[in-house]
Amino acid sequence: MLTRGIDAFGSGLRRNCRIGFFVWLVALAGCTQEPKPGVESKPGESKSALRRVEPGKESGFLQDYSKLKPNEKLGGDALTYVNPDKMKSLHRYVAIIVDPVQVYVSTAADASLIPDSGRGAVAKYFEHALVGAVSDAFPVVDSPGPLVLRLRAALVGIDLGGKVAPLNDPAMTAKPMDRAIVLEKVSVEMELVDSETGERIAAAVDKATLGAGAEVGSENFSRIERYNEAKMAFDQWAGRVREFLDSEHELTGEDAERALQSYQPYGK
Amino acid sequence: MKKFMVPVVLLAAGAALCFAADPSKMKTIQGYADSDICARLMLGPISPERIECSQSTHKQGAAPQIVRLTDNLVFEVNKTKMLKDYVGKFVEATGEPKEKDGRIKLESVKEIDRPNIPPGAPGHELMDARNFRATGDRAKTFEKVRHELAMMPYISEFDFISFTMVGDDVILTGWTVRITNRSTAYNLVKNIEGVNRITNNIEVLPMGSFDMQIRAGARAALQRMLSRYFWGSGSDIKIIVKNGKIILLGRVATKADSDIANIQCNAVPNAFHVFNLLKVAPSEDKKKG
Repeated sequence: MLTRGIDAFGSGLRRNCRIGFFVWLVALAGCTQEPKPGVESKPGESKSALRRVEPGKESGFLQDYSKLKPNEKLGGDALTYVNPDKMKSLHRYVAIIVDPVQVYVSTAADASLIPDSGRGAVAKYFEHALVGAVSDAFPVVDSPGPLVLRLRAALVGIDLGGKVAPLNDPAMTAKPMDRAIVLEKVSVEMELVDSETGERIAAAVDKATLGAGAEVGSENFSRIERYNEAKMAFDQWAGRVREFLDSEHELTGEDAERALQSYQPYGK
Repeated sequence: MKKFMVPVVLLAAGAALCFAADPSKMKTIQGYADSDICARLMLGPISPERIECSQSTHKQGAAPQIVRLTDNLVFEVNKTKMLKDYVGKFVEATGEPKEKDGRIKLESVKEIDRPNIPPGAPGHELMDARNFRATGDRAKTFEKVRHELAMMPYISEFDFISFTMVGDDVILTGWTVRITNRSTAYNLVKNIEGVNRITNNIEVLPMGSFDMQIRAGARAALQRMLSRYFWGSGSDIKIIVKNGKIILLGRVATKADSDIANIQCNAVPNAFHVFNLLKVAPSEDKKKG
């Protein structure tokens, strides 16, 4: 009993000691580094440019809308495009960069009532949802390079909702917005381009009305339970992007036959 | 000078204390010291051919690893120098194994004789070639596993997933650039009737920019010279790139094609070494002739 106690104590001590050691090393490295010239945010960086879109119209975010075709696998609400050149197919890429999501505000809304921080929160959450949806199929990397795709995505048509009721919860640190952001008529536009050349590999416009009834009313909406509908909508949109990628990777026809014929475990 | 010596000595002593192995997590495992290439390819029982593979690939620069005899799980070791003299031999290794990560923090290694593993022990399976033959119902299971793995959607030229059957157990091996392939392969095989236990030795490869450049360079070079082995969504030639090393796998029709692939990959910038493990499988027409 005593020896087990000593072992457990020793194990805990060792773990704490390791953490402490790393903290000390990091602190030491920090002390020895020369101070860097101050990195300031670029003017206008915090305030993202306001992009507007007429209700029900394309935003102009994609390079070209003419080649998009209805995709039955994703339902009638989705229009997709895949580069027909086999040398430029999705199969040729193994990693992805997810660009910051752009947000287009409906021209029907008074944009002055939608703060930058609100749009930022919406964009951040959708980016996070996209990374979660695609990362195990396409490892997310930071820099462009060979075999790396760039995922550009936009939320198109966010609108202005009613007044947000103040919260009486002292534990809630997130600042509420004056007016909620409504996702009722939002659609998603996304494009996968070669990270080096910028050439379009695939694209999709998803007009599925997943945001019906969903509202965002805080700068940090993910903490507030009542906006779960919005979180779900973003996760579902991101999930549909992954569905699109999955369907394009499915082996069919000649490719399936060739893969089956070719595949042999090593040693057979 | 003295000013610097004191903190350096203290740092070294602190590091030694902190990183010393935890005695409560120490285990001794019986294993086969293999090269990382042969361990992932799992050539079958520990035969003279397998030992030759382990030793020759290790000499060419493949890192040594331990294959645990009880379940064939591959362990990466923290101190490769400690294991390098035992590659191709059976060993008893003491250290802190982490099954989930497939790593072991080695404390000591010693060679053991083959007869020391009794015939009834689970580890003996690895040495008996009869356990690797798939006949009757096992042959059907083998084909089902092969079919499922062949149809995996996210397999590219840069992934190679292989498997071995030991009785009703399946050992998944190989390399992939996508985490999803590791779990997908496991889940697909898990649902196949007749499969008992699965050991997942599929390694997820690092995605460093150098390796990515090598992958792209090797594929471009091979596609230029051997385009018939590449089709829309896949290829007969697999290009595995790990820390600057290229492993060529798959089948080609002639020895000349294998040599061309080797030469082309050796010319890829930043590639340190090419392990050419391409198999020459004559085409059906030649077989008939």
